[in-house]
Amino acid sequence: MSVRGAKRWLLVGVILAFVLSWFSGRINPYDRGVWIDCGINIILAVSLNLILGHTGQFSLGHAGFMSVGGYTAAKLTLVCAVLVPASLQPLLFAAALLAGGLLAALAGLLVGIPSLRLRGDYLAIVTLGFAEIIRVIMQNTEAVGGASGLSGIPKLATVGWTFALAAITIYTVAGLVNSTYGRGFLAVSDDEVAASAMGVNPVRYKVTAFVVGAFFAGVAGALYAHHKQTIVPTGFDWLKSIDIVVMVILGGMGRTPGVILAAILLTWLPEQLRVFADYRMILYALLIILLMILRPQGLFTFRNARRKGVKAAS
Amino acid sequence: MSASVPLLKLDRATIRFGGLTAVSSLDLEIGHNEMVGLIGPNGAGKTTAFNLITGVYQPTEGTITLEGRPTAGLRPHQLAKSGIARTFQNIRLFASLSVFDNVRVATQLHRPHGVSNALWRGRAFHESEAAVEKEVIALLSIFKLEGFRDELAVSLPYGAQRRLEIVRALATRPRLLLLDEPAAGMNPTEKEELMHLIRFIQERFSISVLLVEHDMTVVMGVCQRIAVLEYGKKIAEGTPEQIQSDHRVIEAYLGDEGADTEDGEEVDNA
Repeated sequence: MSVRGAKRWLLVGVILAFVLSWFSGRINPYDRGVWIDCGINIILAVSLNLILGHTGQFSLGHAGFMSVGGYTAAKLTLVCAVLVPASLQPLLFAAALLAGGLLAALAGLLVGIPSLRLRGDYLAIVTLGFAEIIRVIMQNTEAVGGASGLSGIPKLATVGWTFALAAITIYTVAGLVNSTYGRGFLAVSDDEVAASAMGVNPVRYKVTAFVVGAFFAGVAGALYAHHKQTIVPTGFDWLKSIDIVVMVILGGMGRTPGVILAAILLTWLPEQLRVFADYRMILYALLIILLMILRPQGLFTFRNARRKGVKAAS
Repeated sequence: MSASVPLLKLDRATIRFGGLTAVSSLDLEIGHNEMVGLIGPNGAGKTTAFNLITGVYQPTEGTITLEGRPTAGLRPHQLAKSGIARTFQNIRLFASLSVFDNVRVATQLHRPHGVSNALWRGRAFHESEAAVEKEVIALLSIFKLEGFRDELAVSLPYGAQRRLEIVRALATRPRLLLLDEPAAGMNPTEKEELMHLIRFIQERFSISVLLVEHDMTVVMGVCQRIAVLEYGKKIAEGTPEQIQSDHRVIEAYLGDEGADTEDGEEVDNA
């Protein structure tokens, strides 16, 4: 069977990522680092968009999932790096990414369960609490370095890996949502009572959103750890969660292209405003206030993407 | 009733909220292809009875059986799967979805595909999606909504929204359709159309319909049998003629001059 429809775009995305990777040797390491940051933030924002934008579950715990994934993967490569020959390092990295993602998905399942009973701001508080618990556990576990975190993590994250995984994330989230099955996420978000009366099981959709979203947050955390080479528990605090929430809101809830653009903008902008780095949160707050007044539908929403019918699915 | 098992049977179904008995010992049978009306003054427990049947609430006492199988413990989406579909008193369409997608969501419970299928997008997926599209378009055109296909559901005129809610319920392929005050807020012409529509649905899809309605012309016009609720108790049951001449009903409901001018009925949405 020929590769067609959405799968072709996935292939294009992955190939493009490795072409970029080929050229990335020529650009200076600083810019390359910003690119990788962009890719990681795209993964985070697009995966949170499945939970927050599409399924309407207000989660403030995304940094917690990221933390689980980051620590798992970093610990794995740190322990195994000496055992694995250099030629097999990418394989080890792939295994670490997968392990990070899976453990984060497990955490997502655990957080998904209270989400069955809670909604809105109550859920936000539970997820916020969850992320804080993760942070405190990491801070007090000597095996993962305690408060000083893990350092000396091998630098395995490349532009190619990052953007290939970003392409996979976008494909997964968009692919899920743009199907008859996936319209259930939006239905649950719109009206849970009506959705369940139409045979949509809200519990399953919500937990699925949490598990899939957490998986990719974990993968992003793993990439982050192998990009920065050092992770500390406070790097995954609630401010980090807010950063990701802002990307989703700025891009337009449930609008994948907008969320991607917002992730890029909000990675690039603070780099340009390095001198004002301390005032970044003020800038964020101002941006959100302005956005709510001027463009409540999201900064990058030019048309209503959700109105598309089956045609968008192929 | 014939000797065969009724489609839906409520046997002394009761629900209490604290000290309030909203529905008390309700016996009701709905046969296959039957059109039953459930009427009663405001607050009589009609919508609560609906919520009992659709699994939103579980009865405190008594049982509800669907073709002889008890529905106790089944959740709304499971009951939808076993053939009970409903509309809502206050229209509850999916606000961010198009007309097409509103109906599309309701078709998914008869489709085997889930996460893996949506991600792999193999031949089975595309075939299934094409079949869904055909099914939805067919339903929309029966109810003259195909022109609104890509509109947001909530941007439709009021009458069309009511129609769309019925289409969405039909997309779950129900055997029993529960309509919760479908004529609310409609003008006389729209009510006339609605009566045709309900009769048409019952014939075309050969399903049973349970209709909760305030509007007497609509209930009397389409229902074969009517049950009357007052304060959670069934006070009468029979053919429209029997109900119209039942003195308890007249006292409780029809005698009340307010019966024909319930709140919201005269709202003109044209």
